[in-house]
Amino acid sequence: MSSVLVVDDAAFMRMMIKDILVKNQFNVVGEAANGQEAVDMYEELKPDLVTMDITMPEKDGITALKEIKSKHGDANIIMCSAMGQQSMVIDAIQAGAKDFIVKPFQADRVMEAIQKVVGVK
Amino acid sequence: MDNKEYLTLFIEESQEHLQAVNTHLLELEKNNGSKDIISEIFRSAHTLKGMAATMGFEDLAHLTHHMENVLDQIRNDQLTVTPAVLDVVFESVDDLEYMINDISSGGSGKKDVQGAASKLEALLAGDKAAETASASNVSPEKHSVIPEYDQYEWAVIQESEEQGYHALCLNVTLDEQTMLKAARVFMVFGVVEKAGEVINCQPAMADLEAEAFENEFTVTLITKEEPENLQAQIAGISEVTDVHVHVVKKETVQTKHEEQSITEEKNQELSPPSNKAEMPQRQTEAVKTVRVNTDRLDKLMNLFEELVIDRGRLEQLSAELKHSELTDTVEHMSRISGDLQTIILTMRMMPVENVFNRFPRMVRSLSKELGKKIELDIVGADTELDRTIIDEIGDPLVHLLRNSLDHGIETPEVRKQAGKPETGTVTLRAYHSGNHVMIEMEDDGAGINKEKVIDIALSKGIIAAEDVEKKTDQDIYGLLFASGFSTAAEVTDISGRGVGLDVVRNTFESLGGIVSVDSEPGKGSIFSIQLPLTLSILDVMLVEAGEEKYAVPISSIVETAIITKDNIFHSHGQRVIDFRGRIIPLLSLHQVFAIPGSQEERSQHSIVVINKGGKIAALMVDHLVGKQDIVLKSLGPFLPDIASISGATILGDGNVALIVDVNTLIA
Repeated sequence: MSSVLVVDDAAFMRMMIKDILVKNQFNVVGEAANGQEAVDMYEELKPDLVTMDITMPEKDGITALKEIKSKHGDANIIMCSAMGQQSMVIDAIQAGAKDFIVKPFQADRVMEAIQKVVGVK
Repeated sequence: MDNKEYLTLFIEESQEHLQAVNTHLLELEKNNGSKDIISEIFRSAHTLKGMAATMGFEDLAHLTHHMENVLDQIRNDQLTVTPAVLDVVFESVDDLEYMINDISSGGSGKKDVQGAASKLEALLAGDKAAETASASNVSPEKHSVIPEYDQYEWAVIQESEEQGYHALCLNVTLDEQTMLKAARVFMVFGVVEKAGEVINCQPAMADLEAEAFENEFTVTLITKEEPENLQAQIAGISEVTDVHVHVVKKETVQTKHEEQSITEEKNQELSPPSNKAEMPQRQTEAVKTVRVNTDRLDKLMNLFEELVIDRGRLEQLSAELKHSELTDTVEHMSRISGDLQTIILTMRMMPVENVFNRFPRMVRSLSKELGKKIELDIVGADTELDRTIIDEIGDPLVHLLRNSLDHGIETPEVRKQAGKPETGTVTLRAYHSGNHVMIEMEDDGAGINKEKVIDIALSKGIIAAEDVEKKTDQDIYGLLFASGFSTAAEVTDISGRGVGLDVVRNTFESLGGIVSVDSEPGKGSIFSIQLPLTLSILDVMLVEAGEEKYAVPISSIVETAIITKDNIFHSHGQRVIDFRGRIIPLLSLHQVFAIPGSQEERSQHSIVVINKGGKIAALMVDHLVGKQDIVLKSLGPFLPDIASISGATILGDGNVALIVDVNTLIA
C-alpha cells in the first residue's frame, strides 16, 4: 500500500483528497496545512507520494516542492492547482513535480494521476 | 460523490475566508495597495473558489472566479484600487456571503450572480479583456495528421536520416475536459525534448502555450528513440487520451513549398499576469489549531463540572476524617483540578474579535448610506469571552452600533459648525475587569438630549412627572432602554425600527450582563456593557429557606440586611419595606416557592435586596449561608419553564440547590 502525504491549507480539500485516496486503498500517512509543514513532514514520513497544493500560507507549494526535491530527488509530488495557475503549474513541473491535478477534483482524475505516478515508479 | 459530509467543514472554512477577505479589503482601503494584503485577499478568494467548485456550488465558484481576476490585476498593478473598485468587490463579497449563508441554512446556494460578475468584468483593464476575447475568438483549424514541413525542415529530416536518426511525428490528443492544457502540453514537451530535438509543432508553440487549440496537436522531432517507447511515455501522462506516432519519410508526404514561420524560441510573453505572481510569503504568524466540535467542549465542561462536585465532596470528607495523607492528596487534587478548570474555561473562550470584525464593514456601508463620515476604532479585540456569550452578543451590539451611527454621530456639516472634525469616531472597546468583561461603545457625537428624553418618557408614560426631579442624569439616559422608547424623530431603517433598545438590554441581562449609558451633550455618549466571563460557573449567595437551599446570583444582589418585624409595612395589599428611603416590595422566598414551614412568627428577618435593571425588591429568607462559586446545571428537557428557577447546582455535601431567577421575581 503506497503512503501519501496530503498538503493543502484548506482542511476541506485535505478531507476530499484523503477520502478519495483511502477509498482507493492508499495509506494517507500525514496531512500538512502549509509548505513548511509539508517539508518537515516529508523528512519525517518519507511518503511514496505527496499531493501538494500551490497556494498556501507561510510557504507555497512550489517552494516546498523545490525544497523537498533538492534533498530527495526521487520524491513523487503531484501538484494540486486551480484554474488560472498555468504558469505556476509549469514552474512546478520544471521543478520536478510528476503531475498535476486541477480543482475541482474529480475522483477518477485524481486516481488517474496518482496511479500513473506510483505506477511509473 | 456525496458531498454532504463535507458541508459543515466547507461552510466553516468558507466563512473564515470570507471574513478574511472582508477584513483585508478594509485594510486595503486604509493603506492603499499593500501587496501583502492583496495577496492575502487573493489567496482567500482562490481557496474559496476551489472549494465551491468542488462542492458543486457553481454560482459561488463563478463569482469568486471573477473576483479573483480583478484581484489578480490589482496585484499586478494593472488596476489601481479606487473606492469605486472596492465598492464593486464589496458588493460581490455580499453576494458571496448571501450564498454561503443560504448554503448553511440548507439552501442550494444559488443566486443570480450575473450582475455582480459583469460589474467585476467591467473593472478589468481593457487589454486583458481584449486578450481573452481574442484568445477565445481564435477558432483553431483542424490540423491535418501529417503536418506540412518547409524546405528547411525537410533538409533537417533528410540529414538526420543519414546520421542514423529518424524523424517522428506525434499526434497527441488531450482529454476534452483538460483544464490546464498548456501545462499538459508542457509535460508532453518535457518527454519529447528529452528524447530528441523538436523541429516542428503545429499549432505553433505560441498558440499551444496560449491554449489556442482544441484538443489535438502535432509535434515532429528528430530522435533515436523507438516510436513505441515514445508513445508509451507520452500515453503515461495524465489526460492524454490518444497518441499516434509515425516515422516521417520524404516519400510519405507530398512536398509543399510554403513559407511557414515557426517560432522556436519560447515565448516569454505568455500568460503575463501569473508569471510575476510571486507567491505571498505571509508575514502573519499562523496559530496552530485543532478544530474541535463545540458539542465536545460542552461535554468536557459538563464532565469537569461533575468532577468539581466530587472534589467538593472529597474535600468535605477529608476535613471530617482528618487523615493527613488523605488531606494531602485531596489538596493536591484540588489544585490540579483548579488548573484544569482554568484551562477548560479558557478553551471555551473566544476573542470578541469574532463579533467585532463584522462591524467595520457595517460602519463603512452605513456611513455611506447616511452621508456621514465615521471612523470605527476597535480596541481590545483580543479580549476573550465564553463562546456562549459571544454567540449572543452580536445582534444587540449591532443594534447599539447602528444606534450610535444613526443618532449619535452628526452629519459633517453639523460637526463642522460645532467645531469638531468632520469625521466622527466610534470607539469600540473591550477589556477585562475582575470577573467581568466590559464592552464600551463610545462616540464623539451630539450626546443624548436629556430634555428630549424626559419629554418622550413623560408622553409615553414611562415615568411620572413628579419622579423626574429625583432622577439623576444617568437614570434619565437609562430610560432609553425602557420599552416603547425611541428618540429618533423619524424612523429610519438603520435604527429605531420599533424594536427599541429595551430588546438590547434584555438580551444582555439574560446573559447576566448589565448595561449602562452616560453622555455629555455636545461631546458624545458612552454605552457600557458588563458581561460575566463565563456562564457555567456562577458566583452566588447561598440562602436557606426552611430545609432548602437556594442560590441567588451575586450579580443581581444589591445588598443583604436584617430587618425587624416592625420595619414591614403594607401598601396596596402588598408588604413593603423602607429601604434607604425608598419603598420597595418585600417578597418571601417561602411564598414564592411554597416552601413548607412558616417564618412569620420571627421578630427578625434576613433579606437579600435584588436588582433588575434599576428596579429593586427585597427577598426574605431564613438564613444567609454565604458566597460560593457554583456550577450551573440546567434542569434538563423534562422540566422546562419552571417559573423563577434558572437552573440547579450540586453542593459540596451532595445536596441540590436551585438557582433563583431574579429577573422573574421583579415585575
